Amino acid sequence: MEVMDHQIRVYEDIFEMLPSEENPTPMVRIRKLNPAADFKLYAKLEWYNPFGSVKDRAAWNMLRHMEDKGQLGPGHNAVEATSGNTGLSLAALASARGYKLRAIVPGRIPGEKKTLLKIAGADLEVLNDDVCPAPGLGDGSINRAKSHAKASPGEYAMPNQYENEANVQAHFTTTGPEIWRQTQGKITHFFAALGTCGTVTGVGRFLKAKDPAIQVIAIVPTEGHDVPGLRNVSQLHVSKLFDSSVVDEIMEIDYKLAYQRALELSRKEGLLAGPSAGLIFEGAREVAAKTKKGLGVMIFPDNIFKYLSNMRKHHPELETEGFGFFPTT
Amino acid sequence: MSSYSNPEVLVDIAWAKAHLNQPNTRFVEIDVDTASYESGHIPGAVAFNWRTQLQNQVSRDIISREAFEKLLGGAGIGNDDTVVLYGDNNNWFAAYGFWLFKLYGHKKVHLLNGGRVKWLNEQDAPLTKDVPSVAPGKYTVTGYHSELRALLPEVLQASAGRDRNLVDVRSPDEFSGKIIAPPNLPETAQRAGHIPNAKSIPWSTAVSADGTFKSADDLNKIYVQEKGVDPSKASIAYCRIGERSSHTWFVLKYLLGISDVKNYDGSWTEYGNLIGAPIDNPSGGSSGTK
Repeated sequence: MEVMDHQIRVYEDIFEMLPSEENPTPMVRIRKLNPAADFKLYAKLEWYNPFGSVKDRAAWNMLRHMEDKGQLGPGHNAVEATSGNTGLSLAALASARGYKLRAIVPGRIPGEKKTLLKIAGADLEVLNDDVCPAPGLGDGSINRAKSHAKASPGEYAMPNQYENEANVQAHFTTTGPEIWRQTQGKITHFFAALGTCGTVTGVGRFLKAKDPAIQVIAIVPTEGHDVPGLRNVSQLHVSKLFDSSVVDEIMEIDYKLAYQRALELSRKEGLLAGPSAGLIFEGAREVAAKTKKGLGVMIFPDNIFKYLSNMRKHHPELETEGFGFFPTT
Repeated sequence: MSSYSNPEVLVDIAWAKAHLNQPNTRFVEIDVDTASYESGHIPGAVAFNWRTQLQNQVSRDIISREAFEKLLGGAGIGNDDTVVLYGDNNNWFAAYGFWLFKLYGHKKVHLLNGGRVKWLNEQDAPLTKDVPSVAPGKYTVTGYHSELRALLPEVLQASAGRDRNLVDVRSPDEFSGKIIAPPNLPETAQRAGHIPNAKSIPWSTAVSADGTFKSADDLNKIYVQEKGVDPSKASIAYCRIGERSSHTWFVLKYLLGISDVKNYDGSWTEYGNLIGAPIDNPSGGSSGTK
């Protein structure tokens, strides 16, 4: 087999599986939970990427660019601040390419993600950066990663997903074109959350170039949120990739609804979506209810499997300790 | 535009870059997260660990005069050396170190304005993982400046007498009694709230977005005009364990030039554990857990 055939789906290595316009992640329509019959709402299921999240796109593009520049390769490792998904993508990709990732992670991320990073081959450095947020502190994880890259330039290079244009470019060249083709150019609304802002900026630029009328809506959680990977408005300064010129609206959603909607998506739609998908869905749902007519595409960044402890915290009824009958409602 | 009352206590990045590897200038990193130093530091800098090296490991107290002499002598710091302190979290523990150096009478001590993060993000400021080899020397403490430190009896007097500025630099939720301490911190107290008659001025109001201290005019506006710190009166700053309050103590004493300013290093982890001490708790919780 010399030529990739995305129909047959037999690949020579994992890299061939990474998404593209010819090999898009699937989109599934929301049926029972959609409040407006004439507003078609599609979830783009990014957990169908090889390493389970939307972050595969940025990770692969950043690594390729850095390999091309000779910054990464055997003996030249990557160091990155990551809340889990980027780290998992980078760790798995780096391992498969013959080098390593040193992942700097905040202590508050779920244990499942930390273990996954180690399984994928990452060296893990866990920080406690929960102390008294304040101006000027920056982000502890990002600064720690920068510190390693600056102090040991031969040993470490930092992709820096918060500043690397290759992150944006990944979405401009894959996610955007995929959505355009999958909706046959009929998309009216695009919904994504903000973390590094690579998705919203890259897809936003692509879609706005195709049709400036397409509404690009960024969904952010309320202050004090515990949705891993996302940033609210006051945390946005951490990313250098946010391009407000392609974003029509920033919607702030009560972060607790992320966990509520994630559970409903699992139980009503058969979509085992993670909390960030739940938050994005709530934003899209509100727009659909108000707008009534259109075609919306939501990025569902990853599935629920890494967030069991978060889900138990927000839904104590999910606890299954002890014996007995556990109704789901 | 006015300037700081004692501008010489601060050095900036350019000054620090120009004074790397100078024999009588010593850089000392003191971080909240003591792992920061190993990930990279200013060339030639040594690290002091606030948990194990700046505090008495048996009783709750600062290190003794003898231990301070041993620490500085062991780091090769001499009595006449210029010491530049810097650290993470906007110099929280670097400011605590500054207070300790002043308490034991070291003359030439400075804070690097903006601290570790500012240095790290400067394009051409070098960073290394090499730990410098230092020749141990002799350091002799020349005095103890008790006028810089508030102990409990004085704090109780200040609260009851209302004759001094009592400045609580913790977060609003700690001040109001909603929480006892920020999440995940081991040092805490039995009760939540604040010392009666204290003003709430969180430490972070003193710093700009890039981590450097705000201008003298801005600081004067915030502390004196808006928050009502009376510069003609003595002042006491407190927080949870005495490090954030060192930061505000530094601002009040050296940048605003208030002559009598003390750091209450016992802070809430002492006060909030006392039997019968008066507490204001606007949130109404008895333990801060509600």
